[in-house]
Amino acid sequence: MNLRDKLRAVGGTGPNRPGDRPEQETRDCRHFAVYRPPEEFPGALELTRDTLSLMSEKEMPEVFDPRRILYMDTETTGLGGSGTVAFLVGLGWLTDNGFEVHQFLMRDYPEEPYLLKHVAAGLDRFDVLCTFNGTTFDVPLLESRFLMNRMDRSCLDLPHLDLLHMCRRLWKLRLGRCNLGRLEEVILGKPRTDDIPGSEVPQRYFTYLKTKQISLLDDILKHNAQDIASLCVLLNHMADLYLHPEKIRFSEDVYSMGRALERVNRTEHARRCYRLAGRGRMGDLASSALAVSYRRSGQREEAAQIWREMIREGRGGIDPYVELAKYEEHVRRDVPEALRLTEQAIIRLSEPGFGRDDAVQELKNELQYRWQRLKRKLKEQ
Amino acid sequence: MNVAQLAEQLRRDNYFMKDVTRWEVIPARPAQTVPFPDSLDPRLIPVLAERGIHNLYTHQAKSLEAIARGEDVTVVTPTASGKTMCYNLPVLSAILQNEDTRALYLFPTKALSADQVSELYDMIEGMGVDIKTYTYDGDTPAAARRAVRQAGHIVVTNPDMLHSGILPHHTKWVKLFENLRYIVIDEIHTYRGVFGSNLANVLRRLMRLCEFYGSHPQFILCSATIANPKELAETLIGRTVTLVDENGAPMGERHFVFYNPPVVNRQLGIREGAVPVTRSISGMLLKNGIQAITFARSRLTVEVLTRYLKDMVRDPLGNAGRVRGYRGGYLPGERREIERGLRNGQVDAVVSTNALELGIDIGALDACVMCGYPGTIASAWQQAGRAGRRKGTSIVFFIASSAAIDQYIVNHPDYLLTKSPENALLNPDNLYILLSHFKCAAFELPFADGDKFGNTSSTQELLDFLDEQGIVHHVEGKYHWSAEDFPASEISLRSAAAENFIIVDITDPAHHRVVGEMDRFTAPMLLHENAIYMHEGRQFQVEKLDFDACKAFIRSVDVGYYTDADLNINLSLLDIEKEEQTPQGGIAGLGEIKVTALVTMFKKIKFDTHETLGFGHVQLPETDMHTTSMWWTLPEKLAAKFSSDQLKNGMMGIANLLRIVCPLYLMCAPQDIAVVYQVKSPITNEPTILLYDNTPGGIGLSHKAFGMKELLLSKALQVAEDCHCSYGCPSCVGPVGEIGEDGKRTAIRLLKELTK
Repeated sequence: MNLRDKLRAVGGTGPNRPGDRPEQETRDCRHFAVYRPPEEFPGALELTRDTLSLMSEKEMPEVFDPRRILYMDTETTGLGGSGTVAFLVGLGWLTDNGFEVHQFLMRDYPEEPYLLKHVAAGLDRFDVLCTFNGTTFDVPLLESRFLMNRMDRSCLDLPHLDLLHMCRRLWKLRLGRCNLGRLEEVILGKPRTDDIPGSEVPQRYFTYLKTKQISLLDDILKHNAQDIASLCVLLNHMADLYLHPEKIRFSEDVYSMGRALERVNRTEHARRCYRLAGRGRMGDLASSALAVSYRRSGQREEAAQIWREMIREGRGGIDPYVELAKYEEHVRRDVPEALRLTEQAIIRLSEPGFGRDDAVQELKNELQYRWQRLKRKLKEQ
Repeated sequence: MNVAQLAEQLRRDNYFMKDVTRWEVIPARPAQTVPFPDSLDPRLIPVLAERGIHNLYTHQAKSLEAIARGEDVTVVTPTASGKTMCYNLPVLSAILQNEDTRALYLFPTKALSADQVSELYDMIEGMGVDIKTYTYDGDTPAAARRAVRQAGHIVVTNPDMLHSGILPHHTKWVKLFENLRYIVIDEIHTYRGVFGSNLANVLRRLMRLCEFYGSHPQFILCSATIANPKELAETLIGRTVTLVDENGAPMGERHFVFYNPPVVNRQLGIREGAVPVTRSISGMLLKNGIQAITFARSRLTVEVLTRYLKDMVRDPLGNAGRVRGYRGGYLPGERREIERGLRNGQVDAVVSTNALELGIDIGALDACVMCGYPGTIASAWQQAGRAGRRKGTSIVFFIASSAAIDQYIVNHPDYLLTKSPENALLNPDNLYILLSHFKCAAFELPFADGDKFGNTSSTQELLDFLDEQGIVHHVEGKYHWSAEDFPASEISLRSAAAENFIIVDITDPAHHRVVGEMDRFTAPMLLHENAIYMHEGRQFQVEKLDFDACKAFIRSVDVGYYTDADLNINLSLLDIEKEEQTPQGGIAGLGEIKVTALVTMFKKIKFDTHETLGFGHVQLPETDMHTTSMWWTLPEKLAAKFSSDQLKNGMMGIANLLRIVCPLYLMCAPQDIAVVYQVKSPITNEPTILLYDNTPGGIGLSHKAFGMKELLLSKALQVAEDCHCSYGCPSCVGPVGEIGEDGKRTAIRLLKELTK
């Protein structure tokens, strides 16, 4: 038994070789370009440095130009580790005449260095990189590829906008999982048809490698170009919402926007969002957030006003009672009123809607303790 | 009473001494020291002085010299001889002199890593320098991993993590790989068999990556005493090593007592159990305030003995706390506490499984009691080494159980005491293991035409095979990984076959839990439906064996029997590697075989009486295993002297003897090999006794056996002749009921002829 037969016995199936492959005579990888009209990217050229800084929570370059953002997406042979290769890298950017996508495809492994050279050259011409989940996937993967090909990887050190994180801030509350396909469908209202599922991409490429039928890759090229264009659309859609929160139609989203704006100290804008959140559970959360925002900036009476309003309207559970009790005790020094509010909180907590779990019990104990303390305080006065 | 007094008293005790088969005194040995060498960074000297170290033992100095010359070094040292200094000193010196230097430490278990890191921390803190030592294993929090990858001077990990967490992601470890100067592998004697064969391939992958990053690390390896440390190390790393094996550490006088519990029923040849005897000896040590460790083979025995000893000293002051149990399954915090207690003297007696055998620092104790033979000489000396202070007398008791191997040891103490022919074996070119790691290597870095993978000669054939399978893609002189898989996730370093069976306890319907794993070749034997499966002393019944999903579902039961499956084994020859005519006219062969195993039925056997209570049928597919084998044929003339019944019984006797002897001389666990006899073998057409590696692909045990084929037979003969039974017993050729009345005589006659 020769080694080949033994190997088959140990872990193989039958031969799988598709005949001899012709040697590739290439000094470059394959290049595709796609041009999209400007109408598909409304407002994209008006994006300002300030808006982008707000959205990304990062410092943007001093001299900023929306045409100098590079949108990038990769198609890979696996989920990571040094044996995973980015066989297709798409780069996109805005021009005065629309949006251009340039895709670099390695037709076989020896073309990888050429592909990477184009990527490096592309990155070098831009100021900002924009990806979807690039922080954890595309950029480390490309770093690894540059390293494996003994190439300089400093081109990847651009300021990086990872739309995944930015989108999560705005839409996680409503959507749960934020993948690009879902965002396109739900947020941009443009569901994809005939799209190749990401999970089928590696196998499709391996089949292509064996057959060298380039048409097998059409779906992947289309998918990749669409992803990149969507990055730009999505970024500008978000920018529009940051500037005009009143356009947001869902209370989850407007509340999320408020939180996002508060993180970057746009207090006034954030408060505007909270006020827009309307009624319901989100409205309660927003009102509470608004009150907390007032309290933080020392506007105690404004905060108290909101708590009172919430109590009057029976919104927000017991939080408004607790918060208002604190205000009455510590700011207005009205101990009887604080005591009364605490009592009401305890009574409300005993209503059937609150259930009987440990957290409720703990809260109740806390309130009872507060009540006793206030009672003592009242006596001492 | 101290140890010396106790030893004196016992030697005058005739009742005790009548069951002592040997009392060996190993004389005290003074320290052999030399001054610190120049290669040691001067900043280390004050911290060493603080620890009372003013010079080096000769073995430490020799290691340092060899390392300074750029050689790969293997240090063989008994317990408590300052082994860690052999690697910590050169590594720390190198980092002090160039802060870019990196070192990788590999320990077989997490507990050991924790122990070594704390010792390193102490020294680094003592020097007040910024040398970062990090542990990288499954417990390392994700947030800390980045720092480990970027900044760790010394990265401490285990082979499993190196295999699946570091190598496949090597581009994240650039700093480590570019500057890797030392690879330290401790406890290399644990890397035998499948685990060792896997590690050897992990190291081949590691060295390939180092070459890619342009680093040329040196190896520093440490081993407990085994017969072939140099061979083991060289097979493991694929390079020549310098062996440092003389021990310069001082040692007090040591007594080694071999005790065979008395026969309580002469007709049946039943001896007093090892556990009650251990209980009274350990108890005697405890009462005399002699700090001692007791080793037991099973977790259950550990628990039982711990309870006995605790009861012995239990009082309102909480003295029962002076006795502790120690085994796998205790929480890390609890283990650390026990180790500390042993070092600072708060714990007087510890009962342990072999979990404490490895180099965990518990200081040196006064006495060691071994309840049964731990299976290998290396383990026995590791356990015995736990007793033995640098000054003062220590004592080791070996208490034999009635197991055949224990009886052999207690009746042949020289086997343990004199330098033995034992070896630690591994086979990096086991095809199953090699192929799996070869895939990982191809994933990590493309192979180029003409590339080598360690010392393996089959690189090109492997590449062609993977290309043919579409797993790699050959283009312009390079083989690129072209599959979606992450190959490292498909291998477990601690077993050979890729797919293991998972054992699921479904006793609690709301909470199924995985209690263990078993390789696919053993599973049909022990996990067939209705089998009684024992786990941690508890009985379970197998409800369902899902062969395709590789899962067995078990439920807790309490029954008075165990099960024994009848395994039908068919052997067929694949390839003959070597055949030799023996002087006696038989043939000794070596080659590759296919073992087809089929379980068709099982017996229910009552505990204690061992009577058969009933049978059951098993319906499972056959399993195939390709492995290596060696065989002896009986010369035709010799076979002709016996009736076919006699021949069958005699050969069965020899097979039983070889099952006892071979693990001892091949230094493997009994289940690592199988011995079968065939009155007319389809392989040789002669009466034949075959031994084969019970691991897919083989790990080299058959090759080793072929190399000592005369010795194995003569040792088998010795066991049969030395056994006091008349017609056979489980300690030699097997019980009379199995081999017939003349089985033992025939076996001896055959062996005498075969070794003439």
